[in-house]
Amino acid sequence: MPPIDLPQGTLDLLILRTLSVGPQHGWAISERVQQVSSDVLRIQQGSLYPALHRLERRGWIKARWGTSDNNRRAKYYELTRAGRKQLEVETDSWQKLTAAVAQILESA
Amino acid sequence: MLTDLLYRLRALFRRSTVESELNEELRYHFDSEVDKYLRQGATREEALRRARLAFGGHEQIKEDCRNARGTGFLETSLQDFRYALRQLGSNPGFTIVIVLTLALSIGANSAIFSVISSVLLKSLPYPQPEKIVRLFLTNSIYPRFPLNHFDFRDYRARSKSFDSMAIYTRGDMQLSGGSAEPVRLYGFNITSGFFRVLGLHPELGREFDRNAELPGNGQQVILSDRLWRSRFGADRAIVGKKITLNAQPFTVIGVMPPGTEHPGNEYHSLAYGDDVDLWSPFTFDGNPARRGSHYTEGIARLKDGVTSEQAQSELNAIMAELGHEYANDARWHVLVVPLYREVVGSSQRMLLVLLGAVGMVLLIACANAANLLLARAATRQREIAVRLALGASRSRLIRQLLTESLLIAFIGGALGLVLAVGGVKALITLLPADFPRVHEIHVSAPVFAFTFIVSAATGILFGLIPAIQASRTDPRAGLHEGSRSTTGSGRISRLRNALVVSEVTLACVLLIGAGLMLRSLLNLVHLNPGFREDHVLTATVSLPYPEYKSKEQVSQFYETLTTNIGALPGVQSAAAGSDLPWTGYDENTSLNIEGKQPGPSDEFHARYHVASPDYFRALGIPLLHGRFFTAADKAGAPPVIIINRAMAEKYWNTGDAVGKRVTWDDHPKEEDWYRVVGVVGDIKDKPSSAGTEPAFWWPILQQPMAFLGESLVVRAGSDPLALADAIRTQVHRLDPALAVADVQWMDEIVYGSVATPRFAFVLVGLFAGLAIILAAIGTYGVISYSVTQRTSEFGLRVALGAQRLDVIRLVLAQAAKLVLAGTALGLILALTLARVLKSLIYNVSPADPLTFGSVGLMVIAIAVLACYIPAIKATRANPMTALRAE
Repeated sequence: MPPIDLPQGTLDLLILRTLSVGPQHGWAISERVQQVSSDVLRIQQGSLYPALHRLERRGWIKARWGTSDNNRRAKYYELTRAGRKQLEVETDSWQKLTAAVAQILESA
Repeated sequence: MLTDLLYRLRALFRRSTVESELNEELRYHFDSEVDKYLRQGATREEALRRARLAFGGHEQIKEDCRNARGTGFLETSLQDFRYALRQLGSNPGFTIVIVLTLALSIGANSAIFSVISSVLLKSLPYPQPEKIVRLFLTNSIYPRFPLNHFDFRDYRARSKSFDSMAIYTRGDMQLSGGSAEPVRLYGFNITSGFFRVLGLHPELGREFDRNAELPGNGQQVILSDRLWRSRFGADRAIVGKKITLNAQPFTVIGVMPPGTEHPGNEYHSLAYGDDVDLWSPFTFDGNPARRGSHYTEGIARLKDGVTSEQAQSELNAIMAELGHEYANDARWHVLVVPLYREVVGSSQRMLLVLLGAVGMVLLIACANAANLLLARAATRQREIAVRLALGASRSRLIRQLLTESLLIAFIGGALGLVLAVGGVKALITLLPADFPRVHEIHVSAPVFAFTFIVSAATGILFGLIPAIQASRTDPRAGLHEGSRSTTGSGRISRLRNALVVSEVTLACVLLIGAGLMLRSLLNLVHLNPGFREDHVLTATVSLPYPEYKSKEQVSQFYETLTTNIGALPGVQSAAAGSDLPWTGYDENTSLNIEGKQPGPSDEFHARYHVASPDYFRALGIPLLHGRFFTAADKAGAPPVIIINRAMAEKYWNTGDAVGKRVTWDDHPKEEDWYRVVGVVGDIKDKPSSAGTEPAFWWPILQQPMAFLGESLVVRAGSDPLALADAIRTQVHRLDPALAVADVQWMDEIVYGSVATPRFAFVLVGLFAGLAIILAAIGTYGVISYSVTQRTSEFGLRVALGAQRLDVIRLVLAQAAKLVLAGTALGLILALTLARVLKSLIYNVSPADPLTFGSVGLMVIAIAVLACYIPAIKATRANPMTALRAE
């Protein structure tokens, strides 16, 4: 199955969900999303980094410098408390949305 | 919210750290991607290629991250700003011309706006000033007339429209005592409630009550803050103490706070401002059934919800009732005028005309700046083409060019504000003395706001069209090395021509406005005033009533004084009279004329004065028929008057009315008739009055009532400088307690009387001068640019044998097309606009052919002059250089 483009507004949700497991750097986030979705979802770097900066500005994630597996300096992002709350809100509304869309698809 | 702000601030101020962190982050990502492909077994080259493909544009990501950080707009603006500064710095000649012209025109706008903001826009310094109205009487002869005080008492008792009402009339007093020289103080007699109308409260003590209006209770006084501080040492216990005024004891009732502004008055007028020194009660004495005397001015505060129209119709109903009760009250109507209109009234139109004029100057400066930017855009075409080719969007380019023009405009605005501060000071010294609210004029917060907005609007106005024009550049155009003929240049030159035409048009309009005002001013200055103002010193001496009770004492005093002054060396003639020309004196009386009856709804009336024998000689007023007064025209001698020519012509239809008789008695006996012994030349009420009102003079020794305050008129021969002191000495020899006030030369009075038209002319003239210089620069710019463009053409023509004159003719013909179009449009526009000047100009038609003709010629001449240099340059076009450049 070829990768599909992310629907509008889901990128933030995916980043927040990925970070809820633990702090990660940008490359790991994109790799993980790709793996977990069995290569269906692929995040373009061009949208990943602006999104990370936007989320940081909103105070949902924070960044600190750490050392990666291959012993290099990398920037790690982690969820803040506000970010956790935001994740709940977005997960909730996402589930409502997909349920509603599924309902319509089945009924028609 | 807070984290957001902190984040943006860090992004902004630790910009380089943030940027290098981003670089490092992206590099890490890229390397991890490469590692991944290597692990999957790709060669190094293959891994790098795939990573690059996956990664996309590095710079694009960085730009998007900057935007995500929320500082993109600011950062690009800063970048544009730095770039704009470099651009302006690299082209100093251009920058200086454009910034200076903008500074001058924005500064002029800010200065005029300072005056408008302080005079017209700021509300009067009273609580709820819109509720304060002035009351006047009006009838078919006198459009605005003072009230009768007993009428006022009836208005006050019967009307329901007002919260409070008062009348007031000028009552100057003399303060003497101690070692200080006696001074004349500006005073007003007011009824109770005067300060309540204004909404002001005494700082110490209280306002007058109704009791103070009763005969015998008048010796009370309220002091101004200034007088209280300067003469009474700010004594807080002064209320209840007695002070000596006009040689009588007055009890101090109150002290007003600083900034108690006089609302202005017409009769014995004192302009709006804080010049009043003291107030004393108005006394209602005399017979309330006699209502012929009118010298008090009404002021009132409307009740909530009552309009001035409603108040006016109520007062007119009351006036109609009074008309049945008292014969003198018939045929008068009441006029209720909002105080604001009364205070700013006549100045409003002039200020708005000035704002219009200065606004036109700014438009011309904008056109000029736009023109210069268009010319420069042509030279920057390659730079812009390269930017477009490298992927700059049009809107991004426009934004950057607009940053440049806004920067220019704001530098101009800041400089302009500095100019305005100086300009306002100069304006104030130019303003006529009686201009409303002069001392309130300064550069204030609204002026800063105005300058800011005007600068921003100016920057966009002159920058937008050139920016849009430049953004239309074809990216390929600039890349062809050396290409000069570019697409769009036809459109640009049409635009530049249109700008020059409009500059010339507006400059033409301003010059015509200035021309009309100059002619009007010259008419006023060269007007034969009806007297000779040179070498005449004037002063006022007022006699306090308690010591000069009888008219014989009064006339004796002035007679002795003028005789003594007349005997001084260097004095040609010395005289005393009720007033001086052009100082606003306007005392009128009705009268009966022997053998004549007025029409049923009319009466004979004239302005009255008194004069000592030498009065006309000292002022240089010509005698037309009969004789001047002599020392023999004294009490007991046959009563006589001198009349002006206007009176002779109005009532006897002849210049020579000598021997005719008039009286002020309704049932005259033989000795009540006054015989006309002389007819003198007319003096207009004001220099700009259309005609002269009928007037007559009583001899000072036959004055029918005591004229306590009289003007001295002294015509000097040789050394007029020491004269003022000599007059003071002579007055004090007769009575050391008298104040000598208003010492001024008659030519100063004459000069002051045309202050308003002079002010208008000087300003409009300055603006017009600036306008024509700007228009000349604009024309020069366009013509000289087109000459440069056409160098090769001129070179070819010269090579083919064209003469210098032919080339000059070519250039001038091109310029003439623009200038003639601009001038024609300007003349037409001026013809329609000049109508608003009608009330501001004297004895000049708004379509004055002389002004229009000479302005038209002048504009053409200046424009031709502006094209002279480019035309000469065109004749020097060398055929070889021109061809090689191609």
